[in-house]
Amino acid sequence: MDKSEILKTVNDIFIDVLDDDTIVLTYETTANDVEEWDSLNHIQLVVAIEKQFRIRFTSQEIQSWNNVGELVNSISNRVH
Amino acid sequence: MEQPLNYIYQKIETLSPMHSKKLKKNIAFFDERYYEQANSFFARYINILHHDHKTLDYSIDCYLRMIADVNSETVEFLRTGKYTSSTFAEVNQRVYARPETMEYYMHGLIMSQFLWKHHYQMLQYFTDTLPQYIKATKSYLEVGVGHGLYLSKALEILNDNTTLTAVDISETSITLAKNFIKDSRINYNLKDIFEFNNRKKYDFITLGEVLEHVEDPLKLLQKLKTLLSDEGILFFTTPTNAPAIDHIYLFNTVGEIQDIIKAAGFEIETERSLLSEEVSPERAAKLKIAILYGAFLKKSKAS
Ligand SMILES: C[S@@+](CC[C@H](N)C(=O)[O-])C[C@H]1O[C@@H](n2cnc3c(N)ncnc32)[C@H](O)[C@@H]1O
Repeated sequence: MDKSEILKTVNDIFIDVLDDDTIVLTYETTANDVEEWDSLNHIQLVVAIEKQFRIRFTSQEIQSWNNVGELVNSISNRVH
Repeated sequence: MEQPLNYIYQKIETLSPMHSKKLKKNIAFFDERYYEQANSFFARYINILHHDHKTLDYSIDCYLRMIADVNSETVEFLRTGKYTSSTFAEVNQRVYARPETMEYYMHGLIMSQFLWKHHYQMLQYFTDTLPQYIKATKSYLEVGVGHGLYLSKALEILNDNTTLTAVDISETSITLAKNFIKDSRINYNLKDIFEFNNRKKYDFITLGEVLEHVEDPLKLLQKLKTLLSDEGILFFTTPTNAPAIDHIYLFNTVGEIQDIIKAAGFEIETERSLLSEEVSPERAAKLKIAILYGAFLKKSKAS
């Protein structure tokens, strides 16, 4: 799976979990850009992404991403 | 002086912007009494902290440590559908018997009473309803007194000649409650509630967020029934889907809580189900958003 496909899947998960179909993510998007992306929703997103891609993040990773691009990189390192 | 609430919200925003975002969403749902009550609570609380050579920054730090715990427990809970601990022995060792953990946890929890919408609303429900029972309450017992905030409210509301008793399994909680309330009328007992028995019956018992801390909540309600006078009232609160370091019994739905109320031989006088996030009931179920349930119960006549 290439990164643009991952980004698209992640975007769909954001739309579903945050219940907002206007969300358009780019690699540069941060939590500041998405109103509903707060601490609790972050956890909901992380676990939904794990389930979708059948992967497990470490607890350090969960707190480390500064933007969507870094999140996509973490996913990309795990799915081949 | 700057209002404590402003200071707290600003500090949390600097230290944890993502959590601050979540907190700010709640603000819209606080009622008009909120600012006055929260600021006066924090003013009193800050005084107590000062006596202990601590500042509000210390408590904000405790609160954020508690949030970090809740967040990591939530990740596990959403992954597995279970709480991470399931026995009393585990959480006793992990939390109650550890003064250091218990200390930041209780300071964090008392802060949350005025930062979380559902905690604030539950406290209002309690203080708005308790006055109905002033006359009938000659003796009052609180089980799992924790930080002591509910007991301090009961003390303000009830008659001066009502006897007040508190039980908690953690020494840290008892010390905190004593410092917070500072009133010699209260009789404190450092005990596991299952081992508490002083052959007295109480007209009113409060059990705030303890049911999810025991292996067999039905047994706990039955135990409290034996401590309650015939016409007595039990006020209790417990959450669904609320992962925390010391929660062991998972209620998936409010229906499951109502079932054990009946099974224990109680009837509901009034009840509240307070969502921890403002979402529709469908989304709350889908995302397993915690609901804080609270009710005033009396012994059911049939049993
Ligand atoms: C989450 S705190 C609740 C504090 C407060 N009542 C409230 O509603 O915010 C739970 C408290 O119950 C106490 N506790 C837990 N299990 C207990 C038991 N078996 N007997 C007595 N106290 C217990 C803990 O030590 C802690 O102080």
